[in-house]
Amino acid sequence: MRNEVLPAPVRAFAGTRAFLWTEVLVQKNERLAMATSMVVQSVILVFVYILNPGLLGVAFVGAIIFSTFTMGQRVLNEAAYLRIDHKSIDFYLAGPMTPEAYFLGMSFGILVVYIPPLIVFGVLATFIVPLTVATGLLLLGLAATVWVFAASLGYVFSTFFRDNRAIWAYSSLFFNVFGVLVPVFYPLGLFPEVLRPIVLLMPPSAAAALVQSAIGVTSLTGGEVALAVGGLAVETVAMFLVAIYWARRTVRGD
Amino acid sequence: MPETALASVDLKKVYHSRGAPAVEALRGVTMDVRRGERVALLGRNGAGKTTFLKIASTLLKPTSGSVELFGIDVVAAPDKARPYIAVVPQEGKPFFHLCPREQVYTYLRARGIGRESAKARTEESLERMGLTEVADRLSITLSGGQRQRTMVATVIATEAPLLFLDEPTIGMDPFARRDVWASLRSLTQKGSTILLTTHYLDEAEVLSHRLYIVENGQVLVSGTADDLKRSVGGTLKVTLPNGASQVERFRSFGECVTDGSGVTVIVQPHRLGELMDLAVKSNLTATVGPVTLEEAFLRAVGRSIDEE
Repeated sequence: MRNEVLPAPVRAFAGTRAFLWTEVLVQKNERLAMATSMVVQSVILVFVYILNPGLLGVAFVGAIIFSTFTMGQRVLNEAAYLRIDHKSIDFYLAGPMTPEAYFLGMSFGILVVYIPPLIVFGVLATFIVPLTVATGLLLLGLAATVWVFAASLGYVFSTFFRDNRAIWAYSSLFFNVFGVLVPVFYPLGLFPEVLRPIVLLMPPSAAAALVQSAIGVTSLTGGEVALAVGGLAVETVAMFLVAIYWARRTVRGD
Repeated sequence: MPETALASVDLKKVYHSRGAPAVEALRGVTMDVRRGERVALLGRNGAGKTTFLKIASTLLKPTSGSVELFGIDVVAAPDKARPYIAVVPQEGKPFFHLCPREQVYTYLRARGIGRESAKARTEESLERMGLTEVADRLSITLSGGQRQRTMVATVIATEAPLLFLDEPTIGMDPFARRDVWASLRSLTQKGSTILLTTHYLDEAEVLSHRLYIVENGQVLVSGTADDLKRSVGGTLKVTLPNGASQVERFRSFGECVTDGSGVTVIVQPHRLGELMDLAVKSNLTATVGPVTLEEAFLRAVGRSIDEE
């Protein structure tokens, strides 16, 4: 018997790092899935290029934000699949690994693996979008914020399902509606004015609108900027805290 | 570390689901497991074995009662108990896109075990479970038995003080099962404690120091395999395949259990000759064998372990 009980913060860090690496290995061994992470964005970019090449810059910004948003869908699918089919919660969390480490490790692991597609879009964007250092950093920061929100949302949602087949349908519907239908790939100005406050409260469209405003494609009022920034910040922090709480709560069933 | 690894007192669990009657999965289970013991929960499907294991391994809240692991209350302080345990869940699977070597190693690292130690334990555990040849193949390409061995190898490698194994050898061939048994014996010799569920009677008998027979959420009997076999009332069993219609003629020899048209009579060795004479006179064929855990189970539960 060789068992040393490490302090909780050390266990949390070790668990996150190890589960991150686990996910990286899993995704690395499933390369086709990595390629599919670029499909939707690429198809939309091709359509935009054919139909209105003038909007390609906005669409590239949208592709980057959409990429981090759909990582939430990956987290949802992965977390649900592993919990339902592999009993991974029982396997990993009835042990020293903390629930936070499991959630964070999975989210970071999927982020790390899907960085290559992001780099491709990012590099192409520098040729097409009039980005300065400041707007580039703004885009990166907002994309990262959307990732935190989406990964947290995906993890929480994953716990509500008992059947993988239901998850694939709902997660795809949810992430495509809130990532494609709303003004992420196209300027906010093309969206009905009366509904603008609603889309400015949705993290992906709020982030896209803020970048569009920064590069001069969309004009936002001071109130709209405050709504988008405030909404994004509050929703992201709240969703992350809910995910941490939920990760702990769902280890043990009732 | 306390001498009692696990102690449960009057543990009850009722499952409620909308639109369906409540199900009493555990009806007051009291048991204890001492440090270094291998204890088996033996029961039919739905007897409550997995529910007990889930509560004891901090994965499910009980309706009432208590469970302590090394003196830590798992209901009140699951976080304190978890570092001491490892679980092979029922129907658990390794990551399909990891190979066994990666699976064991990353799992150990996720538990906070250092790199060098994790590497050494990984190789040791893979070898012990006969997985060295397939250690670098993705799990998705392995057979069901090899995947299950990977799960067991992963948990064995932790050398945690208390291991919970829910049907650990399901789907394995007889050789692999023996590898698992040997590994579990070796672990308890090093000081680990093992609580496993099984519905393989031979596994429970060969592997466990003590066993609990569970039915309808209750412990019916407990003790060593020898204790339970002794409780049957004889050391030999005589099986008469077409003897059920004449069962009354054999009752004076010992306990008779009918099963369809056949009957099994439990008998002491000194009365065997007399019973065989009667069987011949009655034109019945008879088979003699030692009493096994199967008879003990039948006596305790009233049904075979495989009966649904």
